[in-house]
Amino acid sequence: MSITATLSANLALEEARSPEARVAGAMRGFALEIGALSAFRMESCIHCGICADACHFYIATEDPQYTPIWKVEPFKQAYKRESSAFAPVFRWLGLKKKVTADELEHWQYLLFDSCNMCGRCSLICPMGIDVSALIEQARHAMFEAGLAPTELYEKAANQKRTGQPEDSAEPYRDKLLAIGREFGVEIPLDKSDVEVMLTVPRTDIEHYPKAVAALARVMQHLGVSCTFRSDGLVAENYGYYAGGKEWQRQISLRLIDEALACKAKLLIVPECGHAYTALRWEAADLYGKPLPFKVRHVTEFLAEQLQLGKLTLRTAETGATTFHDPCQLVRKGGVTNAPRTLMKAMGVELHEMKNHGAFSFCCGGGGGVVDIQRAAPLRYRAMENKLREVDDTGASTFITSCSDCRRTFDDARSHFNWEKTPRSLLELVADNLAGTAGNAA
Amino acid sequence: MDLVSFARGPALEVALAVFCLGVVWRIVGFALLRIRRNFNEPRNSLVKAIIGGVIATGSRSWPHSEFTVRTGAGEALGYGYHIGLFIVILAFAPHIAFFGSLFGVTWPALPNSVITIFSVLTFTLLLAVLFRRVTHRVLRMLSNFDDYFSWFITTLVIVTGLMATAHIGGPYQTILGLHILSFDALLVWFPFGKLMHAFYIFPSRAINGTLLSRKGAAS
Amino acid sequence: MAHYHDQPTIGEMLERHGVSRRTFIKYCTAMASALALPPLAGRAMAEQLRAALRPSVIYLSFQECTGCLESLIRSFSPSIENLIFDVISLDYDDTLMAAAGAQAEMARDKAMKDNYGKYVLVIDGSVPTGANGAYCALGGKSAVDILREAAKGAAAIVCVGTCSSFGGVPFADPNPTQAWPVSDIVSDKPIVNVSGCPPIPEVITGTLLQFISTGKVPDLDEYRRPKVFFGNTIHDRCYRRPFYDQGKFAKSFDDEGARNGWCLFELGCKGPTTYNACATTKWNGGTSFPIESGHPCLGCSEPNFWDKGSFYSALSAPRWGKAGEVSPGDVLKVVGGAAAVGAALGVASAGLSRLRQRHIEKSTTNNEAKES
Repeated sequence: MSITATLSANLALEEARSPEARVAGAMRGFALEIGALSAFRMESCIHCGICADACHFYIATEDPQYTPIWKVEPFKQAYKRESSAFAPVFRWLGLKKKVTADELEHWQYLLFDSCNMCGRCSLICPMGIDVSALIEQARHAMFEAGLAPTELYEKAANQKRTGQPEDSAEPYRDKLLAIGREFGVEIPLDKSDVEVMLTVPRTDIEHYPKAVAALARVMQHLGVSCTFRSDGLVAENYGYYAGGKEWQRQISLRLIDEALACKAKLLIVPECGHAYTALRWEAADLYGKPLPFKVRHVTEFLAEQLQLGKLTLRTAETGATTFHDPCQLVRKGGVTNAPRTLMKAMGVELHEMKNHGAFSFCCGGGGGVVDIQRAAPLRYRAMENKLREVDDTGASTFITSCSDCRRTFDDARSHFNWEKTPRSLLELVADNLAGTAGNAA
Repeated sequence: MDLVSFARGPALEVALAVFCLGVVWRIVGFALLRIRRNFNEPRNSLVKAIIGGVIATGSRSWPHSEFTVRTGAGEALGYGYHIGLFIVILAFAPHIAFFGSLFGVTWPALPNSVITIFSVLTFTLLLAVLFRRVTHRVLRMLSNFDDYFSWFITTLVIVTGLMATAHIGGPYQTILGLHILSFDALLVWFPFGKLMHAFYIFPSRAINGTLLSRKGAAS
Repeated sequence: MAHYHDQPTIGEMLERHGVSRRTFIKYCTAMASALALPPLAGRAMAEQLRAALRPSVIYLSFQECTGCLESLIRSFSPSIENLIFDVISLDYDDTLMAAAGAQAEMARDKAMKDNYGKYVLVIDGSVPTGANGAYCALGGKSAVDILREAAKGAAAIVCVGTCSSFGGVPFADPNPTQAWPVSDIVSDKPIVNVSGCPPIPEVITGTLLQFISTGKVPDLDEYRRPKVFFGNTIHDRCYRRPFYDQGKFAKSFDDEGARNGWCLFELGCKGPTTYNACATTKWNGGTSFPIESGHPCLGCSEPNFWDKGSFYSALSAPRWGKAGEVSPGDVLKVVGGAAAVGAALGVASAGLSRLRQRHIEKSTTNNEAKES
């Protein structure tokens, strides 16, 4: 199936690209990505193939093309041909072939459908190469080639234009207020001169309104001056998923501008993994200077409040529990202890999975993969191992702290008739705030 | 001029020159590319990040326990022949004499019988590594000319060395000449292929480890 | 024994000198064992030799130092007297013969004429060809002319010493006299090289004896040396070899290792690349050989041994340039020079890459500016 055929009508511009234009776009995008660091990473690969053994897509299928470093192969070739020290020699002798449009189309599947950018391969490489960083750069080039998967491209385009990845009958702002009414919690909106600016995952607005309410409730309980901003509501960044670096910058800029407008000293990223990567680690670099406020994940913030004694939690009756570590938060973000601190404070009987913490397997939905429809069969295959690990803990309660992971597991419930329900750590905290009546809704 | 004189004479001189020129060219060629500044707020101080990088430099020598079941055997094979190569290259008396006359420093040697055992082991491991590369589907897919040629030239040096010490395959000086000549060829090939990883491995681990530690991420 | 010559056979000569048949067989058996032949071959050799006519041997000395002859006359078995009186008819050797001047030249010419096609020509010394051969002349004739003339009637040529075999010292760079080994001048006769500086006396006599007893050129190696004497390296047969194998080396001539008799590889021993019989036949009637006296092998029986760098630098030591010996300073020069060029190329290629990047960036921002 040709990729172009799947592109929808509103991508006419992308569709009309000739193969030459695609290759030129990819090469242009990639050339801009090359720096000393990425060059060093590509230089260092010794073709040992060990990264395959870290990747859940390879482990599930044993299909060699899912070897992480192979996913950037065309760009490794391009680097050697275009930017490496011996590039003129390689070109002159024709030792490294030019990347073709067909190859790029094929690699779309490898760079998007079969990679969550979870970074597990970056931990296994004996040369210490951060493979997932290379994949992110390769995605930028694919975007420039007009080869971002339709779903991601459309959502990114929408978000860049309107601030919302998808059009909705009711604007998110109104939905947010409706959630407040439904759960009986005050939603601070568009205030100024606040300590904290809150954001919300679109996934929560659409699927998990309780989590949205939980955030508001916890903040209210802590008595922190905070606000949501109508024009900077959505935490996700589809520009990041699709590989549109400039779009990613513009989408981040929207939040940065709002945070500046309300003079927040802290921007809280809700339970969303990649939003954390985009805002915590990449926004300032795209902004071109340090952000004048801090960025923290909600679990980080809450764990800090707990340690400061500002937050006390009741014992939660969860029974045997296991926790799924979202890759972007834990492995790649370093938010490893915060969720465990919170669970410990609630007396959660935690049964860790075989691979947990930094070595946790990805849910399979990250990196925008859960949004790519044609990727679903592969995603399910890759997920089986994860579900087995969850089941092997014998836990009855299953918690995570990323709404995209949560959605991916929820999706697995219907697909596999899996009986566990992923729960939100934030919701659990909100339900067990000491001195409140708890919310059973 | 006989083969030995040629191999350790003009051929060695040219090979050394090509080696240095190529290695420096290749490293400078990418090290001077753009370096983007990090503007994000680090989780860990620079000192802590660097300590993390140093730890990663060492710890990446063996896979994290989570990975050993799948990769332990392959890595053991790889490290096995590397260790063998180091012992044979650095602890064999004639090699030490060679380095001594090049650089003016010498160190104690291991008995030749020990060296012979290690070189036979190393050769066996190299054969196993090649077998693995052509049979393992991931490796077969990833492999290109560089991988096979680098293997070939490394193995050639080992084989001619073994032949020279065992006095098989021809007159000693012819084999010794071939041994030194194959080493010259290895030096010439070095900067253009994956053998460069000898220079990359520790800086790569250190830099990536430092960057990951800076974020507080696992490394 | 019936014979149709006016010359006595070797057997007759022996009887005339009171050497019994038994003694001669004993001698031949010893010789056969030196030649690594089976014991019975000694008896056969004795019979063949006894029946053989004493062959005429003409010994020509060219650009040489007489060391080879000095070595030859110290042969123990057979002794030189045995050899020249009993086994061969040494018809010309300008050093040993009593005759001198025109008388000597006449003896040579007569022997060449009488034994045309049958005599053994022994050459000692290289043959200078520069200045029309003027660097070495005898009785007004240049060495190269004498050699060409003498070679015509020779049954075979035996080159004694490294000079006649491979050019030797006179041949060493820059070879001012344009000296060549015999094999570069004569190409239509069987040539046997008995190299060494000098060769072991028993190797010279043994080679001659073998040729005389069998009438055939012995098995030769790639350098036309008799395999029976030049089949193994000094290193292969060296009594210090176990120390090499254990990695025990003398580092200087007066250290613990040297006193303990350890391997001399690091002191420059060329044993591993040198084919000769020193380690087995030894010198001075089997008394000793250089390594046994604590000195590394110089590799004197190998071609170009004089041009292979210091006798005292290890075999594996790198060497290049005019000076030959490479010091760490020379290495630094090569390494540093190459690194400097490499750095310049690196800067250039990185600069080129960055320029391209900037160009792309500029055109991309321009396009975006147009779009918005």
